Amino acid sequence: MPPRPRIAVYWTGGCGGCDVSFLELGPALLDVLAQIEIAFWPALVDTKRSDVEALAPRSIAATLVNGTLRTEENVEMVHLLREKSELVVAFGACAYQGGVPGLANLATRDEILRRMSGNGFRPSPPPGGEAEDAPPGLLPQAKSLADEITVDYVVPGCPPMPPLIGLLLGALLSGDLPAPGHVFAHDKALCEECPRTREERKLTKVVRPHELVPDPNVCLLDQGMICLGPVTRGGCGAACPKAGMPCTGCVGPTPNAGDPGLAMISALGSLARAGEEGPGAFAAEDRLLDALVDPLGTFYKYSLPAYVRTGKRSDR
Amino acid sequence: MASPAPSAPSRSAGPRIGVFVCHCGKNIATTVDVPRVVEALASHPGVVYAARHEYMCSDPGQDVIKKAIQEHRLTGVVVAACSPSMHETTFRTAAEEAGLNPYLLEIANIREWCSWVHDGPETTDKAIRITRAMVEKVKGNHPLEPVEVDHATQCLVVGGGISGIQAALDIANAGYEVLLVERSPSIGGRMAQLSETFPTLDCSQCILTPKMVEVSRHPRIRLLTYSEVESVTGYLGNYHVVIRKKPTYVDPDKCNLCGECAKVCPIRVPNEFDRGLSQRAAIYVPFPQAVPSSYTLDEESCLGLNPLRCSECAKVCEPKAIDYDMPEEMIEEDVGAIVVATGYDLYGKERMAEYGHGTVPDVIDGLEFERILSAGGPTKGEVRRPSDGKVPKEVVFIQCSGSRDPELHKSYCSKICCMYTAKHALLYRHNVHDGTAYVFYIDIRAGGKEYEEFVVRAMEDERILYLRGKVAKVFRDGDKVVVWGVDTLTGKRIEVAADLVVLAQAMVPSAGTEELARKLHIACGGEGFLKEAHPKLRPLEALTAGIFLAGAAHGPKDIPEAVAQGSGAAAKAIAILAAPTLTHSPEVAEVDEDLCSGCVVCVPQCPYSAITPGDVAHVNELLCEGCGTCVAACPSGAMRMKNQTDAQVKRMIQVALGAEPVEVGRA
Repeated sequence: MPPRPRIAVYWTGGCGGCDVSFLELGPALLDVLAQIEIAFWPALVDTKRSDVEALAPRSIAATLVNGTLRTEENVEMVHLLREKSELVVAFGACAYQGGVPGLANLATRDEILRRMSGNGFRPSPPPGGEAEDAPPGLLPQAKSLADEITVDYVVPGCPPMPPLIGLLLGALLSGDLPAPGHVFAHDKALCEECPRTREERKLTKVVRPHELVPDPNVCLLDQGMICLGPVTRGGCGAACPKAGMPCTGCVGPTPNAGDPGLAMISALGSLARAGEEGPGAFAAEDRLLDALVDPLGTFYKYSLPAYVRTGKRSDR
Repeated sequence: MASPAPSAPSRSAGPRIGVFVCHCGKNIATTVDVPRVVEALASHPGVVYAARHEYMCSDPGQDVIKKAIQEHRLTGVVVAACSPSMHETTFRTAAEEAGLNPYLLEIANIREWCSWVHDGPETTDKAIRITRAMVEKVKGNHPLEPVEVDHATQCLVVGGGISGIQAALDIANAGYEVLLVERSPSIGGRMAQLSETFPTLDCSQCILTPKMVEVSRHPRIRLLTYSEVESVTGYLGNYHVVIRKKPTYVDPDKCNLCGECAKVCPIRVPNEFDRGLSQRAAIYVPFPQAVPSSYTLDEESCLGLNPLRCSECAKVCEPKAIDYDMPEEMIEEDVGAIVVATGYDLYGKERMAEYGHGTVPDVIDGLEFERILSAGGPTKGEVRRPSDGKVPKEVVFIQCSGSRDPELHKSYCSKICCMYTAKHALLYRHNVHDGTAYVFYIDIRAGGKEYEEFVVRAMEDERILYLRGKVAKVFRDGDKVVVWGVDTLTGKRIEVAADLVVLAQAMVPSAGTEELARKLHIACGGEGFLKEAHPKLRPLEALTAGIFLAGAAHGPKDIPEAVAQGSGAAAKAIAILAAPTLTHSPEVAEVDEDLCSGCVVCVPQCPYSAITPGDVAHVNELLCEGCGTCVAACPSGAMRMKNQTDAQVKRMIQVALGAEPVEVGRA
């Protein structure tokens, strides 16, 4: 019996949902665990940085990193894991394009630290503590994994959905690996999976999810909700639109979308029809963005570090 | 260096681009240092040959390109010259003659974009950047073949007025089948309602009816009266039309026009043909020379198409032509081209508050006066006024009624009113020798062959009183119609107690023009008239290929113009019908079916309705005009323009804005 592949899963600046997402595999997770050896997975087994440092280079078959890169320690750890791993996978929206924590790039590091000190956070060692007890230094800006190290594959999603995790695990365990750079999701936008009908395509108003109980059968975009479905890869089964919530783009842009925010704004501009009455209506097509609360958070909820230049030049 | 024998250019060996810079006499060379452009481009990656010529578009200039294509085995060509709208076809044809796919040649516009609009030292730099960008584009171009398609060989003509009749006859006489659709029970249109025509005073019906008869007898014209266009789908050369033919309840083949049915019909309604100045039965023939010559039973006025209610007409019909069960017909045909000649209406006189809102019986519009003057009209050609049938002794004609009045009515000039008012006044004077005719006018527009002479004749020989000024108010006073106006030449206030007032109402597009335009996907202008593709150079064409405009539906015009436009539209249609196959530029949008999610964002963007939604969008190559709107709108980048991909455009921008200094300030 060939040796079981060694797998590492590491969690940088994220919410931990990606680690939990493995549980969504259900009983299949047991089959997977039986076929692998866990080299390092702090959320699951008691493994330390020193265990990783002791490993030979490239001895880990694949490391799955979730979370955005937010601290100096995050950066050190991913470089270390890169050195020890054959393959590195950006697992989840944060590792892929910065994720929700990436929205912090709208503020400078100093602003963030000031705000956090108000909550009792101290960037220095506790009184009487050793220097090494200090929390790791905060990077000037949040980064995606690929900003620091070479990333072989991406499993997108916030968190990744079981079918997408399954695609990755299937490839790793079978050894039938796709070309580097592959994103384990569909190339087509999730509209393909969405059962909602889209007939009279136009956007006459902009409403937020809490302002409308949408028609269960009609495209949310046609009802005024800014659904990022058209620019977002499928693979999630259009779970949110099926439940009446607009897609917020967690699976990331389709391969040719380029900057998904710009692509979406271009599409919305094409669909906009001004002059209707009522909440969320806009007086002229070029006033569409005025009707839209929080454009950056709408279009770049999971990808601000990847597409939007923010902060001072010296911070980048 | 001896070039190897010309062979099929191989693209795999890397691009071999030729650049040809035109001096355009002094147009480019004055502000652009042409030799420097040649020098700069010669060292651009991928360029193997660069040359210049005084006039690239001349035969010797084209020969330079052709020779270089063969000698240097070029895989792409950039001609730096004027706008591609001028000579793209010229140069692409030359490339094709030299064995290069024409779509591997692009124009770098260094005239309109550059030499004409700059004169500083940066002009040469910009010309170089534009040309380099086009070289980068050509590197990404693929050879394309024009899209070819078969087409239907019959033509649809919508509207059976004089313009539509002329178009139908010309097309049919050229050997093609014509489907002529007319909404009313007879063809003839407005011209059939006129008494005489200016400036020759020909009897309108006398010159029109021979053409109507020719239509009815023509073996290649299928006449569908009492019919309307229900829907139109398809595209140039292959339109699928559905025509709804309303039942006339009278078999035209059996009807012998004896008229017994109308005599016994208990119903009387205003006669549209006489503009309501006479009455007709529910079963009627619009006018004696109607084509097709058959009675029509007007379903709305009839007591009920039911023998239990009334069947007087059917009882007296000897040839048994009346059939109450005649069904509505839906006729479907494929046509290669469509001529739209739906004509005009008059702007409603009820809209003229200042002239009595249409409530004064003796204030009539021009077409009503035409009927009064007509031998076949309600007064048998005698001029009698509607209210009491008296012969009017003082008649006021008001020009520009509703026209040239942007504040209240229509801003445009209706073009024919000056002429027909002169004709009306003149015919009135011929009819009523002791009558007085006044004409209020803003100014006289008599541009047309023998038009001015006609107006002068009316003014001088017929002693018609032309008063320059507008009429402020028209109101009824006893059996008179009082007209208040001003003669702006003398500054005097004028008051005329007239017996009859004739309003030269503005021409407006006939009812339903906009609805038909929507069905045809053609545009209407602000005033509702059909819009042409180019006001100077494409006046007969709609923007949608294969649809042509004729007559007053396109804008106010007189009979000779409407006829000329009918013939012109026919010639345009024949050019399509006669072509062995139709070709279309292959520079169109295409869908990457592996990326399209069927989100349908593109579909409403397309101004040509070229995209069909589905699991993946589908672009009809023949309908697509390559505008790129869908490409910009496509959120997932699944739509792309052939030979104008995002990658090409980005590369062009990079090169055009490239950081390396390009000759700036060295001129």
